[in-house]
Amino acid sequence: MNRWISILLLSALASWVRADERFEKDIRPILQKYCYGCHGEKKQKGKLRLDTLDLNFDRGQSAERWHDALDQLNQGDMPPEDEPQLTAVEQAALTGWLTHRLKAAAEARRSTGGQGVMRRLTRYEYANTLRDLLGVKLDFAKDLPPEPASPDGFKNNGLALGMSAEQLEYYLAISRTALGKVIVEGDAPKVVKARVEKSSPIRRVKGVTGNTVVPGAQYLAKFDEFPREGAFRLHVHASAKVPKGAGLPRMRITIGVRADVQAPQETLVVADVKPGAQVLEFTGRIEDFPLPGHNPKYPGLLARITNEYDDGSGFIKRKPKKPKKGEKAPPPDPDLAKQPVIEITAVEFEGPLFDAWPPVNHVALIGKPGEGNEESRAMTSLKKFMARAYRRPVTPKETGAMFDLYRVIRKRSDSFEAAMRETLALVLATPDFLYLVEPAAAQRRALNDHELAARLSYFLWSTMPDATLTQLAEAGQLRAPKTLAAQVDRMLADPRSEEFVQHFTDQWLNLSGINRVAVNPQFHPKFNDALKVDMRRETQLFFAEILRTDASALQFLDADFAMLNRDLAQHYGLPQTDWPAGVAFERVTLKGDGRRGGLLTQGGILLANSDGEQSHPIRRAVWLLDRVLGSPPAPPPPDVPELDGNSPELRNLSIRQQMEVHREKAACANCHRDIDPWGIAFEEYDAVGRWRENWRTNPKAKPQPVDALAKLADGTELSGMAGLKQHLLAHEKERFAAALTRKLLAYALGRSLEFSDAAAVSALTQHFEKGDYQLRALITGIVQSEDFLTK
Amino acid sequence: MANTFDLNRRTFLRGTGAALALPFMESLSHAKAAAELPRRMAFVYFPFGVALPKDGSPGAEWNWFPKAGKTAKDFQFRSVLKSLEPLRDEVTVMSGLSHPRCRSLGGHDTGDTWLTGHRLAAPTYSNAVSVDQLAAQHLGPSTRFPSLVLSSDGGVGEPTRSTTISFSRTGRPVPALASPKQIFAKLFGQTTDDQQARQRLNNTQSLLDLVLANSKNVRGKLGARDQAKLDEYLDSVRDIEKRVEQSQKWLEIPKPRVEEKTLDLSATPKGPEEYIRVMYDLMYLAFQTDTTRLATYMIGQVAGATTIANSFPTAAGQQANWHGLAHGAGKKPEALGKFDQFLVAQLARFLTRLKDTREGDGTLLDRTMVLYGSSNSRTHNNTNYPLLLAGGRGLGLQHGQFQQYDAKTPFANVFVTMFDRMRLPVDRFADSTGGLDALVS
Repeated sequence: MNRWISILLLSALASWVRADERFEKDIRPILQKYCYGCHGEKKQKGKLRLDTLDLNFDRGQSAERWHDALDQLNQGDMPPEDEPQLTAVEQAALTGWLTHRLKAAAEARRSTGGQGVMRRLTRYEYANTLRDLLGVKLDFAKDLPPEPASPDGFKNNGLALGMSAEQLEYYLAISRTALGKVIVEGDAPKVVKARVEKSSPIRRVKGVTGNTVVPGAQYLAKFDEFPREGAFRLHVHASAKVPKGAGLPRMRITIGVRADVQAPQETLVVADVKPGAQVLEFTGRIEDFPLPGHNPKYPGLLARITNEYDDGSGFIKRKPKKPKKGEKAPPPDPDLAKQPVIEITAVEFEGPLFDAWPPVNHVALIGKPGEGNEESRAMTSLKKFMARAYRRPVTPKETGAMFDLYRVIRKRSDSFEAAMRETLALVLATPDFLYLVEPAAAQRRALNDHELAARLSYFLWSTMPDATLTQLAEAGQLRAPKTLAAQVDRMLADPRSEEFVQHFTDQWLNLSGINRVAVNPQFHPKFNDALKVDMRRETQLFFAEILRTDASALQFLDADFAMLNRDLAQHYGLPQTDWPAGVAFERVTLKGDGRRGGLLTQGGILLANSDGEQSHPIRRAVWLLDRVLGSPPAPPPPDVPELDGNSPELRNLSIRQQMEVHREKAACANCHRDIDPWGIAFEEYDAVGRWRENWRTNPKAKPQPVDALAKLADGTELSGMAGLKQHLLAHEKERFAAALTRKLLAYALGRSLEFSDAAAVSALTQHFEKGDYQLRALITGIVQSEDFLTK
Repeated sequence: MANTFDLNRRTFLRGTGAALALPFMESLSHAKAAAELPRRMAFVYFPFGVALPKDGSPGAEWNWFPKAGKTAKDFQFRSVLKSLEPLRDEVTVMSGLSHPRCRSLGGHDTGDTWLTGHRLAAPTYSNAVSVDQLAAQHLGPSTRFPSLVLSSDGGVGEPTRSTTISFSRTGRPVPALASPKQIFAKLFGQTTDDQQARQRLNNTQSLLDLVLANSKNVRGKLGARDQAKLDEYLDSVRDIEKRVEQSQKWLEIPKPRVEEKTLDLSATPKGPEEYIRVMYDLMYLAFQTDTTRLATYMIGQVAGATTIANSFPTAAGQQANWHGLAHGAGKKPEALGKFDQFLVAQLARFLTRLKDTREGDGTLLDRTMVLYGSSNSRTHNNTNYPLLLAGGRGLGLQHGQFQQYDAKTPFANVFVTMFDRMRLPVDRFADSTGGLDALVS
């Protein structure tokens, strides 16, 4: 079996396996008929001879020549106009074959030989690591350029993560800012404590303002004196009045400068308020919010509390008029009586917050004055800091070089603290911190315990190893399979595993697509963009629930529960008795109609794979094949135009009929026969994920019934989503399990999988299946696998 | 209301322009080529091509290109370019041009090549230096920033779908800035403590020396692929070293003061009109203050449904996303045409601002060449780019014409002419065959 066949197998595109056979049977005759005349044994026009051109695309220059040939065909430049032309079927066969082969060759060349490469920390890994290393919570990644995703969808792929001067400059700036927050100088800053009870009277503020906050109204707390740097705490003394049948009032707190214009204010939190008196505590960093300048007109910091509860009856705009003398008071607005209300009794501000002076984190980094002279303090600090930052023991030579740098810097600096700030900030710009470095040997080698601890913690926490992992590594105990299993359990129970849930779910299922789709309000007038955030959260929490309850991962395909908040339950059309109380997510048992359950019916998935106006069966099908079943179809060849739903001939056809027209074109049929039916089964859900029986070609068109009956290429009939789910659970379990295993392994290793990983994938998949499809078992299996333990 | 505000802002900026000229002239007097005023280039790219209905067909007025006359000077703007009518003598429209080496790439793959003319090939899709970055290298440290790289999506994206049109000396994508606030802070943010800034630059340089010295040691222990990654890091270090040296010189000269209030820095791509306008405003201010002489702005990239800019038309009141409009343009040219008209109006506003600002004996526009266009003609066809070159009359360009070239003329010839007008010693670029005489007076 030659190499490219192996790679095709890995790609799980089973049809390619027959490629060699196919060349002799289908392709060579076409070449013979149209091409060999000028590019064959007798003539070699353009110095190109096709009949002997190497078919092995991953060595030598042949792939480039074949690529040229493909381009010429696609552009219609070949065969020349005065020569016989290929039929559409022949054209499709030939370009299809070339495209598949070139893609496989490209994958082969991207190969890293089954080894991870020195991998830069991703944006979020960098931010988390800085937070844990320094003990400061700030939005460190804010200014870093966004990360590209690898071809398999992951952002932690070492090969895809680049570096540039610009990026490095940002790292320098960020680490300096961060160290500036941790290492302090001078006396303790004055702590501001202030309390506001009655809503602050502010001129020119429109709308209803006061301590009773109905939907659309607001409460304002102005703090004339406030710190400009540091952590702060807000205590909100509040209670809620909730009429029967209504949800909990939704409190949004924004902090900023003025309330009479929209900007600039930033949201601190959105939270439910429950009935009964309560004190809600929220914390933040003051410099993350827009601060008032020295404009005497608007001197104070403003906290604004609004009630965003929305049951569709609208928000209060202005105060009801007071009745004139002798008139009766008008009856209260009936809608308002049904609305939940927040009563604010007081808001307290305190900041900057610090545990001691100098703060504990400061002392942890550079010690206290009096603990030896400056140079010995610097040396002690560097030894400790560098080992943590580099995630490994450091050599005296390394600390020595950095200490020399400190000496140079100290001479230029006004104080010991300033010099340490600079030195430590610079440590954070070295490759040892910015990259996960695993020096290579001639042969594949076992990772040492520190490298293993780093891999483990970046896999499950997206941050540096904690003290426990480091101690186990130092003691040389980490690699014992039992220890690894126990550590996986410990790490998954730790709140930091939320990072794994979020990033893996996002990248596996391509949830960032949700934000890229612009929902057209003409088609979906009631859709509120805030739902996008809830949708993403729903899918992440669903993953977390399956992981934490050790439920079967087959529930990704269909489940009897969903993770919902009130807005989503309402959007999905669940019976009102099942709606959660507020913005917080709850586990909701699904009963009845079977319209929801599992990933496939989640709003985020359906929306991300639509065009913001209509459902998009092809996108949904490609998503299912790629992300859930691990068999991505080949990308469309460049000469194939997209389906134009606006063209007169297609405009009034159902999407299904449009796709049939599409498939009648020979150039499209080849691939779309295998793709389209999967997407048709999703047709009962519109672009924003609502269930529907009818659909319209445009907002003004007549509704027509949805047709979600799909026939797979092998003749299997699927009746809508219910049919699709049944089919997946009955016939595609293995494919799904293998696909999820591959995705999880690729994420764990920070690289794309290759042929050399096939055995590992198959062993892990079996392990996963035998362990009742429990994610924990799969994760433990991965962590104990040869692939994970070696470089 | 809106008008008075605009006027105030403009007068204000004109005022600052005069005040700003001083430090700049002083700084230049130290440099070698002292006496001359700056020469500048800006490049603005839009994706997906334009509507090109045939004459006589319904909607023919939405053809992007002007209606040609008997001579090049004798042309009529149609609906899309109408807002350029007052600037007629500042503009040359060019048809027929493209990068020959990139014609056979995928229709979605050529955004990366607009300023490089380099054929992207699987599997690495490596690129070559872009016009602006090559010029930046030649111009050297004559301005605080060698170039300004902007895009609506920001960052670098992925090969063939890059979110930047600028590529470094080694063909690596230069990350683009997307946030107006961030761009403003970079260009005009006032560092309060120069002393501290100087110390930091010195410290950074010491660290970079240390890293480079160490790297030999480290590199030997790495495998070949890891070495390539380390080299990428080390290249970045070397680039910063150069920047640090440059910054050290610039520290002596204060940054120009620009009032933040004159700009809508809170604009986001959700409001394309405000956003595109502020991006142009920032380029304008960067030129006016001589903070840089080279700017690129990628209004959108060609990655179908996955980019921010794809939804610009929806946000600007059109029925479909950009990609959808482009596909529909064959049958319904009006929808895409109207959106292109909107984009050109933003360009016209930028050109007008440059023209309304005095510099030396002429205007800012006289010494600024602005190239605007796409790498697709229609529905992802990589030939006959819609292109428009504006400004630079003071550098010897001539305008008020519609030049129709044939497919034999490489687009890179435009770059050669621009390099020539920049007085930079670049007489060949990509597959160029010479300059374009018709562009030069």
